[in-house]
Amino acid sequence: MEKSSKKISKFIEQYMLEVVIVVMIVFMSFLSPHFLKVNNIMNILRNISLQGIVAFGMTLTIVCGELDLSVPSSVATAGVLTALIGGKLESAGIMPLQYGAIVGILVSCVFAAVVGLINGICITKFRIPAMIATIAMNYIIYGFSAFISKGYPVTTLPSWLSVIGSGKIFGVIPVPVIFLLIVFAITFYLLKYTKYGRACLAVGGNAESARLSGINVVKTKIITMIIVQVCCVLSGVLLSGQVMSGTFSFAKGWEMTAISSVVIGGSSIAGGTGNVKGTFLGIIFLGIILNGMTLMNVNDYLQYVVRGVLMIGAVMLNAMMANKNRG
Amino acid sequence: MSILETKNVSKQYPGTLALDNVTVSFESGKVHAFIGKNGSGKSTLVNVFSGSTAATSGKVFLDGKELQFRSPSEAQACGLATVYQELSLVPNISVAENIFLGRLPMKNGHVDWKKTYAEAENLLKEIGIDIPVKEQISRLSIWQCQMIEIAKAMSLNPKVLMLDEPTSSLAQHEVEALFRIIRKLKEKDVIIIYITHKLQELWQIADTCTVLRDGKLIGIRNIHELDRRELLKMMFGEVTVKSMPEDLKCSPNVVLKVDHLSDGRRFQNVSFELHEGEVLGIAGMLGSGRTELLSCIFGSRKSTEGSVELKGKIYEKRSPEIMNKAGMAMIQEDRKRLGINLSGSIAQNLCYAALNRIGKGINIDRKIEKKMIEKQVSDLQIKVADTSYPISALSGGNQQKVAVGNWLNIDPEVMIFDEPSKGIDVNAKQQIFQIIWDQSRKGVSSILVSTELEELLETCHRILIMQNGKITKEVDPKQMTVEDLYAVCMGEE
Repeated sequence: MEKSSKKISKFIEQYMLEVVIVVMIVFMSFLSPHFLKVNNIMNILRNISLQGIVAFGMTLTIVCGELDLSVPSSVATAGVLTALIGGKLESAGIMPLQYGAIVGILVSCVFAAVVGLINGICITKFRIPAMIATIAMNYIIYGFSAFISKGYPVTTLPSWLSVIGSGKIFGVIPVPVIFLLIVFAITFYLLKYTKYGRACLAVGGNAESARLSGINVVKTKIITMIIVQVCCVLSGVLLSGQVMSGTFSFAKGWEMTAISSVVIGGSSIAGGTGNVKGTFLGIIFLGIILNGMTLMNVNDYLQYVVRGVLMIGAVMLNAMMANKNRG
Repeated sequence: MSILETKNVSKQYPGTLALDNVTVSFESGKVHAFIGKNGSGKSTLVNVFSGSTAATSGKVFLDGKELQFRSPSEAQACGLATVYQELSLVPNISVAENIFLGRLPMKNGHVDWKKTYAEAENLLKEIGIDIPVKEQISRLSIWQCQMIEIAKAMSLNPKVLMLDEPTSSLAQHEVEALFRIIRKLKEKDVIIIYITHKLQELWQIADTCTVLRDGKLIGIRNIHELDRRELLKMMFGEVTVKSMPEDLKCSPNVVLKVDHLSDGRRFQNVSFELHEGEVLGIAGMLGSGRTELLSCIFGSRKSTEGSVELKGKIYEKRSPEIMNKAGMAMIQEDRKRLGINLSGSIAQNLCYAALNRIGKGINIDRKIEKKMIEKQVSDLQIKVADTSYPISALSGGNQQKVAVGNWLNIDPEVMIFDEPSKGIDVNAKQQIFQIIWDQSRKGVSSILVSTELEELLETCHRILIMQNGKITKEVDPKQMTVEDLYAVCMGEE
């Protein structure tokens, strides 16, 4: 009897998030008749996709023991650049909008890579704490993006972008979900099956011992800061497709959602442990909660309170589990 | 006049008796030196006095009053102050503030700065320290900080002042200045307890000498009635040093050549050669520059001059990454902080150094990885049920084996061991030596640094003596006793 209860408690500890999510789904389906409808489920999935893509990138930075708080502006800027460049190329008569947007996306990628590189260099070479370096970078990009778009939404986007932003496969599955799954698979693979992923874990766990083992800490961190920025471009392009505009003020607070998902998913904020699958569950968890609160007409502002509480709770739980396992 | 006494003090740690029935007394106005090799119990005795450990049995008296305290702050309140080797000053505030930290003079609910500075100045003048009280600690040199530490301890008006290896990081003229201060303190009727491993200092500064060995009090003697030979005998007793296995030969081929290497700070102009299959020991006390030398060779520390030549190739620019590729391994002294990743699994920790050798391209070849892990676990006899367990679950000895296995996976040509037996049990120690010898038989050369001189005599083909940042001598372990080696390390014949 005692043995089986131990087994159950171990099972719950190991699959706590899964259990919580299932409980929440059951709970919600009783509270709201709309919750389990295909439409609503797809709605949840579409809502979590864009921020989820950023969260996977964020998982890598957190595994490395760093953070990227510049993601909101990077997401927004990808849309602004894509729309602006596409529009300019069209109005200059160089190429039609549907191709111009592709050039815009490519430029956004280069821009993001440079931002990631600068973030990485600030963190590694100049030893500026990631929190400070990337929060400053967030301001820089925000201002830059507002400046080049003169503070207005830019709407010169091709119609195909709307398809990948808000289209549905077989009329059911939102296209961004496919991108979410692809990014999930890539991140999972990177962390588990590549030398880079192993280096991330080593660097996040103990940067000095990693360096003394001959691992290139600087390179590993810089690559990570670039990857998260490229995730932002993908997310930003999908976002601009969804609303058919590139706006510098989009994506406010996404860094918070991304970090919450990672921590709720069980990765340690101190670095060195990474759980990509956990991040996925964390995103779903947050998606259900937000959807549930909306369905139950919880005040918008109170939703922020709930999100903040959840994040603190997750970090606390994480630390408690770590302590328990150590002791 | 005050007296500090112990009666039958013992301290039992799991597996070892660190202090064995020690009864001894110290009187004020004298400098009492504690002497003994590593693990002799001298630090444990000081820890009992300073309140950081409690004795298992026995009593401590100060002026006939039994002392019972559970923490260093309680010991301090009873009049026993300690100045530790690691400095504990706050760098960004003034000398005066540091001295009175936590008990600054107050007036009307705010700090009375005038009084603070005046009192600090008086205190420094009294002891004979010439440092402005408003100076920031971060602008002082290490020996000046050491003086401030002593002043801080003295500001508590202690009856007992304990100095834990105060000269280990000081230059000769700085030591002189420190001794002047200590002599002055003697006039203040304080019991001064002085821990050192620098024998030559004893005759300059100490009055009595308390020798401990294996937790037992060997004797307390007037230093001026004692000569070096006798002291060494008291310290080491009769030791039988095992010699290295007969079959270990090294070839005349030079694998590593270090030429006039300097780091501009801790060591200068170091040259030596390492032969194929050789186990080369470097003996030197704490602060001799040995770890810095090894770090420079390995590239984790910058050198200012000189070169390192490995297998005929000169490496101008070195980093752990470059030297790893070149086939050099280094097992770090501070295992938990530098050697392993405590949040990683055993398997992961075995494959960090060889990360770029696990398959081609960006992917990890699982087959190669598995082979590497299994090989080290069985070769090194790492006791573990499952290598996916966190490394923190292992004992110190097994963690050290993982740290060594991590490097063996790169098939190194040269392995540097910095204090490999630190903090591991006797059995694991022997296994580590066995690994070093096994590598030697394969033609792998090793450099071994250890403060345990017996270990060097047992394991090495050749021993270099390092002192104050210089290689001063080369000795043959076969023609040396531990006492001889200790004396040579101290710069004596």
